Amino acid sequence: MSRSRGTADLAERVLGGPVLWVGLALLTAFALAPFVWVFLSSFKTRGDLYATPLVYWPRAWTLGNYVDAWTSKLTPFSRFFANSLWVSSVTMVATTVISILAGYALARFRFVGRDLFLLAFLATQMFPAVLLIAPLLSQWHALGLIDTYQALIYSNFSFTVPFTVWMLVGYFESIPRELEESAMIDGCGRFGALCRVIVPLAAPGIAATAIFAFVSSWSELLFAITFTSQTEMRTLSAGLLYMVGQYEIQWGQLSAGVIISTVPVAVLFTFLQRHLIRGLTAGALKG
Amino acid sequence: MSDATVAAPLARPLLSRRGRELLLGYAYLVPVGVCLGGTIVVPILRAIHMSLYNHVLIKPQEYRFIGLGNYARLLDDEVFWLSLWNSFVWVFGSVSLQFVGGFAAALLLHQAFVGRALVRTVTLLPWVIPGVVVALVWEFIYQPNYGALNDLLFRVGWLRERVAWLSDPWLVMPAVIATNVWRGVPFFAIMLLAGLQAIPDDLYEAARVDGASVGQRFHHITLPLLRPIIVVATATRIIWTFNYADLIFVMTSGGPANATQITSTYTLLQAYSNLDFGYAATLSVVLLLIMLAFTVVYLKTTRGVESVA
Repeated sequence: MSRSRGTADLAERVLGGPVLWVGLALLTAFALAPFVWVFLSSFKTRGDLYATPLVYWPRAWTLGNYVDAWTSKLTPFSRFFANSLWVSSVTMVATTVISILAGYALARFRFVGRDLFLLAFLATQMFPAVLLIAPLLSQWHALGLIDTYQALIYSNFSFTVPFTVWMLVGYFESIPRELEESAMIDGCGRFGALCRVIVPLAAPGIAATAIFAFVSSWSELLFAITFTSQTEMRTLSAGLLYMVGQYEIQWGQLSAGVIISTVPVAVLFTFLQRHLIRGLTAGALKG
Repeated sequence: MSDATVAAPLARPLLSRRGRELLLGYAYLVPVGVCLGGTIVVPILRAIHMSLYNHVLIKPQEYRFIGLGNYARLLDDEVFWLSLWNSFVWVFGSVSLQFVGGFAAALLLHQAFVGRALVRTVTLLPWVIPGVVVALVWEFIYQPNYGALNDLLFRVGWLRERVAWLSDPWLVMPAVIATNVWRGVPFFAIMLLAGLQAIPDDLYEAARVDGASVGQRFHHITLPLLRPIIVVATATRIIWTFNYADLIFVMTSGGPANATQITSTYTLLQAYSNLDFGYAATLSVVLLLIMLAFTVVYLKTTRGVESVA
């Protein structure tokens, strides 16, 4: 990169041309290569998986790894998948409802300690997850919630809710008050105005925060391994780890499990990345 | 007369209009209060309480109040000090490389080119997939016999012998940091890209007309305007990486011989392997205190940034 004025044009052309394309190629390869490798491995037979030198492109394609992982008695991925889907979905819906109410209240009502409340939401994001593990374990144990979905869902609130509330306050504040005031004059109550005016207008933001809640619950590991002990209660993350701990690692099945765990979040993200990214960066840009 | 009788009950409601509004506002906050009280506030208080007790699950007969005994034990614990140092290496290595990579990625993704939306989505993927998946994918890549890394280095001719990346005490930290960099580059890319898109094009145009080179424009427009977002993104990332245990926990469990034992994985080790909840709670409280101190410093610095900007 030349900085002198005389070569400005040349520098610009080099940066805009070859450097850009080489950079993009490197970036894409950097991000994608590990996925491609695991994806290909998940379709390999044992012979190809453990060949020396390595076989990158499967000589014979097989779905065996997926079938084995999905139906295995020891590590039933069908069950793990259903567990993850249920825990993440319920966490998402509950988080969204709780956060809409709280976000609306913080955006519209002026009460004492409002700023302190908001700061507290931000502060919880710097709490280490390991801090909560021992106390939550004894708490769920005392309440008889070990090996239940509730324990996982409630625990997930600790990291989904503060963030979604913080995000939604920003969204709701950007909606003009006049809109809901006119709805209230037309006979809606506060709650009616919230449901009929605010929620539809903030729909993209709400969708982004809901996806955030889903994806982060889907990825959660430490709570899932701590608050469940039975195989049939494990989520995908916990199941994958359990698979590694059980016996010598079956890389074929494991690759299949990795792909099964990745596809749903990757698809969600691809469809909603625009909203999600706008939502996630809005807070940081403001301040 | 009739007007007055109708108006009388309305004139004295139980609460004023403002009072009712406020009460309604608090009612909306009840669910969030209950759920965060139960999953954050109470557990943190319990963690502090636990840290004052000798609380080892397999030795219930030894459960008793020991005051600051666990904290005193921590001062003498060499592994704790090693884990703090490792945490520093882990955070510094991860965040600085993520920043450099993410900045480069953001500058590239900010350019106009065919298929930009697709490339953006693809490059952001490592950030959304579960941490366990990241850890296992890279464990597979690092695997000495059937892993891709050794094989590729063999083919290029840079390696003569198989390297056990995750069992070599000198290579293991760089190996887990590299994994974390792969995962974290998209985060910086997203944040900085948003920052770049917020810079008005007119500024660059004006500078170009005045004859400023690419480098000068970068130095005098891009960097200063990105500064606030750089500070915010870096600080959030430092905190997050310091607390983040999943990756190392899955890949090495802090081994070999504590070479990758960071403070958060050491806390997990105490809770899961030694079932020493008192000491684990002590470690996590100390983690929290370190992060609090960092946040105070960070908030002071950002105020400085805002007043400059």
